[in-house]
Order: sequence, then C-alpha cells, then structure tokens
Amino acid sequence: MFRIILARLVSTVIVVFGVASLVFLLIHFVPGDPVDMMLGENAQMADREALRESLGLNRPVGIQLLHYFSNLLQGDLGTSLHSREPVVQMLAERLPATAELAMASLLISCLIAFPLGIIAALNKGKTWDKTAMGVSLLGVSIPNFLLGPVLILIFSIYLGWLPVSGREGLDSMVLPAITLGTALAAVLSRMIRSTLLEVLQEDFIRTARAKGDSHYQVVIRHALPNAMLPIITLLGLQLGVLLGGAVITETVFSWPGIGKLTIDSIMKRDYPVVQGCVLLISLTYVIVNMLTDLLYAWIDPRIRLGQ
Amino acid sequence: MTFLFRKSVLFKKVCFLLIILSLAGCSNPNSNAIRFGLASAPISLDPRFATDATSARINRLLYQRLVDFDEHFRAVPSLAEWELLGDRHYRFKLRDQGRLFQSGEKLTANDVKATYDYILDADNVSPHRGALLNISNIAVVDSNTIDFFLKNADPLFPGYLVIGIVPERVAKQGLVLNKRSLGSGQFKYIDWPSNDHLIIERHRDKQRVEFIHVQDATVRVLKLIRGEIDLFQNDLPKELVRYLENRESIHVEHCQGSNFSYLGFNLEDPLLKDRRVRQAIAHALDKKSLIQYLLGGETISANTLLTPDHWAGLKSASSYEFNLEKSRQLLKSAGYDNSHPLLLEYKTSSDPFRIRIATIIQQQLAEAGIKVKLRSFDWATFYGDIKAGRFQMYSLSWVGINSPDIFRYVFHSASVPPKGANRGRYNNALVDTLIDQIESTPDVQVRINGYQQLQQQLLLDLPYVPLWYEEHFMAANDNISGYQLVKDGNYDGLNDVMKKL
Repeated sequence: MFRIILARLVSTVIVVFGVASLVFLLIHFVPGDPVDMMLGENAQMADREALRESLGLNRPVGIQLLHYFSNLLQGDLGTSLHSREPVVQMLAERLPATAELAMASLLISCLIAFPLGIIAALNKGKTWDKTAMGVSLLGVSIPNFLLGPVLILIFSIYLGWLPVSGREGLDSMVLPAITLGTALAAVLSRMIRSTLLEVLQEDFIRTARAKGDSHYQVVIRHALPNAMLPIITLLGLQLGVLLGGAVITETVFSWPGIGKLTIDSIMKRDYPVVQGCVLLISLTYVIVNMLTDLLYAWIDPRIRLGQ
Repeated sequence: MTFLFRKSVLFKKVCFLLIILSLAGCSNPNSNAIRFGLASAPISLDPRFATDATSARINRLLYQRLVDFDEHFRAVPSLAEWELLGDRHYRFKLRDQGRLFQSGEKLTANDVKATYDYILDADNVSPHRGALLNISNIAVVDSNTIDFFLKNADPLFPGYLVIGIVPERVAKQGLVLNKRSLGSGQFKYIDWPSNDHLIIERHRDKQRVEFIHVQDATVRVLKLIRGEIDLFQNDLPKELVRYLENRESIHVEHCQGSNFSYLGFNLEDPLLKDRRVRQAIAHALDKKSLIQYLLGGETISANTLLTPDHWAGLKSASSYEFNLEKSRQLLKSAGYDNSHPLLLEYKTSSDPFRIRIATIIQQQLAEAGIKVKLRSFDWATFYGDIKAGRFQMYSLSWVGINSPDIFRYVFHSASVPPKGANRGRYNNALVDTLIDQIESTPDVQVRINGYQQLQQQLLLDLPYVPLWYEEHFMAANDNISGYQLVKDGNYDGLNDVMKKL
C-alpha cells in the first residue's frame, strides 16, 4: 500500500509540474494583454510600462516561469492582477462552493443511477429496461444550459419552492445539483446496467441462487458489490470533473465556484489566477484518482496483494 | 464488503433526508434591502484604480468628486466650485455642506490634494494618471480651498477632476481600498461578503442596497420575476426586454443613452482606404430597421461620436440614408460588381448580442453586393487585434464619452495605438489641423464652431460608419419607485429609489 501511495505521489508531482508549465506558456502566448484589460485605452504608454513592470510582466517568459515555480515551492500562488487579492485566498473562497456542489450532484446522480441501472439490468430487454435507458439517454442529451433554466422555471417560478440562483443556504444548491447530477446519472446508470449484467452471468451468482438466497439478496449482497469496481472508477472520474468546476452550471446558477473563476480569469488574462485554478484542478484530478486507486485496493484484495 | 455497502446506503438516506429538510427551510435574505442585479461584478471600490464601468458607477455612490457633468456634458460643480485665476491656474472652493467621510471625519482640501497626488505619483501606477498629466502642482490654500496649476492652458481641465476623493490618511499610508470603501458619498460601504454580493447603505434613511451579480441574462430576468432581485439596468437581449414589458408586476423604463456604436475600418487596407467603399457600406445599412427590430426603445441613430445635445455635438447633419441603389453605384465606381464583388472580413467580440447585430449587418451588406466574412473572438483577443490594426472592419462602442478631446484621441494621426485610439490608422491633414486649432483656442464659441466643422468632415470621410446611441433601460418590480435613468447609464438613480414593503 505504501509503495502505491509513494509511486502515486511521484507521478502527481510530475503531472502537476507538466500541467503548470504548459498552462503558463499557453496563457502567455495567446493574444490579449492583461495590462490592456486593466487600464483600458486611456492609459499612457509610460503607465502601461510601469504597470507591466510592477506586475513583472515585462520580463522574459522563461524568467517569469522560473519565478512562478520558485514562489510555488514556497506555497505562494501570487496575487490577482485585477483585484490584487492573493490567489490562495480567492481559491479558498471558491473551493467550498465547488466541493459542496460536487458532492451534492454526485449524491443525486447515485440516487438516480443505482435504481435505474439495477432495474434495467434485472429486466433486460423488457419495457422497464427500455424505459430506464430511455430516461438516462434523455438525461445525457439535455445540455445543462437548457436543463438549468427549465428547472428554474418549474421549481422557482411556477412552484416557487426554490431560489432561482445564488448560494444562500442549502435550498439554493438543489437545482444546480440536480442539473449536474442528471447528466452524470445517465452515464452511471448505463455503466451499472452493463457491469451488473456481466456479473449476473457469473458462477457465484448461480451458486448463491442454488443456496436458496432470495432474488433481492443475490442482487444486493453478491452481484452489486462485485460490480462495484468499474462503477467506482467512473465515480472517481466524475468527482474529478465536478471538482474541476462545472462552468456552465455555475454560470447559470451564479454559483461562485472554481469553474466560473477559471473562465472569468482567462477572459481577463489574469495570469496568476488562471494558473492557480488550473493547478488546483489538476491536483484535484490526481488526488481523486489516487484515492480511487486506494479504494480499489481496499475493496479488492487481488489488487492489494498484487496478484 | 456487505457492511460497507450497508453503511453507504445509510449515508445516502441521511443525506437525502438532509436535502428534504433543507427544502422546507428556504432561506429568505434581508427583504428590506433593495437588490440590484448586475451583469458584471465590480472589481475595485477604490476610485483611484477602478476602470470598469460597474465599479465606476458604484464608486459614484460611495465617493464624491470635485466636478460632475450636466445633461449637455458641460462640467459643473459637484463638491467644489471653481474660478480661473490665470490661464493655467484654477482655484477650487469646497462647498460647506455634505462633506463627511464614512468615518465621520470632514473632507478637506488636504484630502483632495492627497488623492490627486497619489494618482500622479508614477510609483502607484494608477490608470487615471495619464488623463491628469497636465497638472504641474497642487497647493492647499486653506481647508476649504485648493489650487491646481497646469503645465498648459486647458479650458476643459475641470472636466478631468471627476475621481472620487479618498481620505488623506488612506492616500498617505498607501492603502488600496479594493475590497472596502471610505468615501463621503450618499452611500456607505457595509460589506462585500462574496465577489457576487456587495452591500451598501444610504446615509439619509439607512436604506440598504445589495448588488447581486447574475451573469446569465435569462436567469437575471427569472430572479426579477421571482423577486430575488428588485431591479436591474441594461445588458439584456431585446426579446427578454419585451417579455418583461408584458409581465404584470414589472415595469420597464427606457431612456436615451450616449454610448456610441460604430463600424470601424482599417484605412490602411487597400480595399477600405477608398472612401467610396466606406460610403457604399454606409448607404447599404438599414439602421432604421436594426434599431426598430433589434435595439428598440429609445435607441437613436447616430451621425457622430457626440450626441446632438452635447455642447460640442453636431446640431444638424445630413446622414447617409439607406439606399441600396446608391450603394451599388458607389461600389461600381470603385470597381466592384457582381462578377467581382467586394470581400471583407468583419471582426466582433463573442458577445451573443454583438454577434447577432453583426450577422444582420452582414446580411444587409450582402444585399448591396458586399460579401462579408464574420469572425468573432473572445474579448481580450478581439481587443488586442483591434489595437494592433489586425482587422478590415469591426464594430465597437465608445462608452462614457464626456469631453470632446476624444476627437484627438480617436482621429488624430498622432494617436495611433498605443499612443491613442486611432485604431483605423486614419490620417487626414485637414482633420489634424482642425483638432490642433480647436484645442489651442480658449474661446468656447470658437471651439464649438471648430467641432462642428470637424464632425462634418469626419462624416464625409467616414473613418467610422456611425451606427447609434444605444438606449438605457431598467426593469423593476412594482414595489420599486423613484429610480431615474440617466444618459450615461450610471446608477445615481439609487440615490432616490424607494421600496414599498
């Protein structure tokens, strides 16, 4: 187990270093100047240069990159060019919102996907199966920028149950979580159906049935736990995506998360914030993947024992 | 394994229960406050640094400035009256009343000097420094009187003193008030709990105003309908404005604006440097339909950068009427016809509404036989291209134009970026001379005549095809009253807005 963690940590450092350098170079090479975005056109040439110098943007990109990494090693992500706030603080303000929404939508996707997937698998080829998979197809087909406003219309405007947008209390999380969760549930339920179908063909299921276990016991106790590995992989990937911020959903629901911060800072060419966001997102991905692997090893002794 | 699974089922049940419970306890934010929806969040509450429109408009509520503009864009006293003591010496006398900072200290001439000295100090890199470089010295006479000495005579000088005054100790200690405010305006700063939520309070009656940033236009409308915001101003597609106009409990008001939209050309481009081509484009545009169907309300067709009621604006002008025949003739005389059509590339930002306008213009120009390839970019890329002259044709707006010195900045041949905003590389010796002459005379009437002549010349030359002055509008729930729209689109209406509970 220790070796798995160590290997993962080493690869984490390499991945994060690679991502950080790539993003640094890309964002510096795309057209668009942060000084223009900040000063507008009324500024004098000398003021532009002064600002460029005070922000360190007049130095060669290589030197800026080195400077960035040396600060990074000391845990300093820099300050926003626009608001002059420390990037760490900006990320710390946004991270809880993103994490909250990610967990809630993952929960909702599980609540939808497990029943759908199980029903579909147990009734393969029948009307139930087709209905369940039809529903999941619908979930994955409706884009979030449409589903979001439709849900707002129904639950906020006509029924008046939930707030339209913003992040004020738990109730404001329901609609964005459902919007994100349904799309995830669609993929997840298909995965559950197919892996469950596979497992249900296995010998030990027949044995369990032969022992006289009830249908319910066979599925819940034997089939589902054995179908969990690929499902956990998918859940891990989805959690990674969610923690990286869901830009469209965050925009529609004015949810102050990482995704919106990333896009806004790219638009403003706020280099330190973009770098901070991307670093955080890539770190989250790597950590979630690592945790998924550890979870594997914990669930499945074959992996843990290296067989 | 079974245990793990059972535990997770239990966990889900608990979470589900939590969600259901939370549904029952919907939160209700402070309902006395007036909630104002914003399309973009303010960036800085420090008037010495803020450049974005939202911050500038909110800072007007939190800070006072020496000078303001009347409805004809003439500089008028705000915090101070002024007199000209020599051609390069202005004396400002602060008014007696209403000079208290949020902290309770009185605003004095020392605060004014400290604010402007801070901006003029190159080390502080204030974006407003460039406009104030004509100041050679600022001297405090007494606590109510302050003198500004200039390097060169400039009758428009008072119009530059529109920056909010911060307390002297803030300026002296080098504090930057990005996330708080210590002004002396009609409102005081209360809190800025998140980037999307700013709270201020009116001194007079303790009425709170909360600014709530809702980026998505549809969601902003839905929030208004549900009463989660009480009012907002601008930044909405026409169909949503119509939708709101037809709703019972919401009222929509319109007012003429001063933001000038135009089609810009690259005059170094071999195709567009021919004036006949630009005139053909002007005649091919059916501005009336565009305004009627797309912009609506109080949007009015424009002939020049300044509105007709600006003190230096063009009072009478023969504009380019919509005439496809004339357009085709001009194109033909320039050497283009159906077998050899004019091909142009048109750049615009990625804003959906701007793209829609551009698409209609593309269609209108096609009817005159001009083929236009439309390209849209994110704002930073688009703006970078425009400044660098990497375009044939583009559309943009000038926002917040008060002073006619904009003509030097936009059309003088010495103002090619980065020195100014002559993005189309317009070079006309006559226009340069006119601008130089106007700015060297102190006589206001001579200046007005000069500006008339200059604007006629620009209309003839068409370095820009003037489009329109976009209207401002506000939409509010019926319990909101007293919000007055103004021409430059600021939020001063909040000084008098009331909410019926």
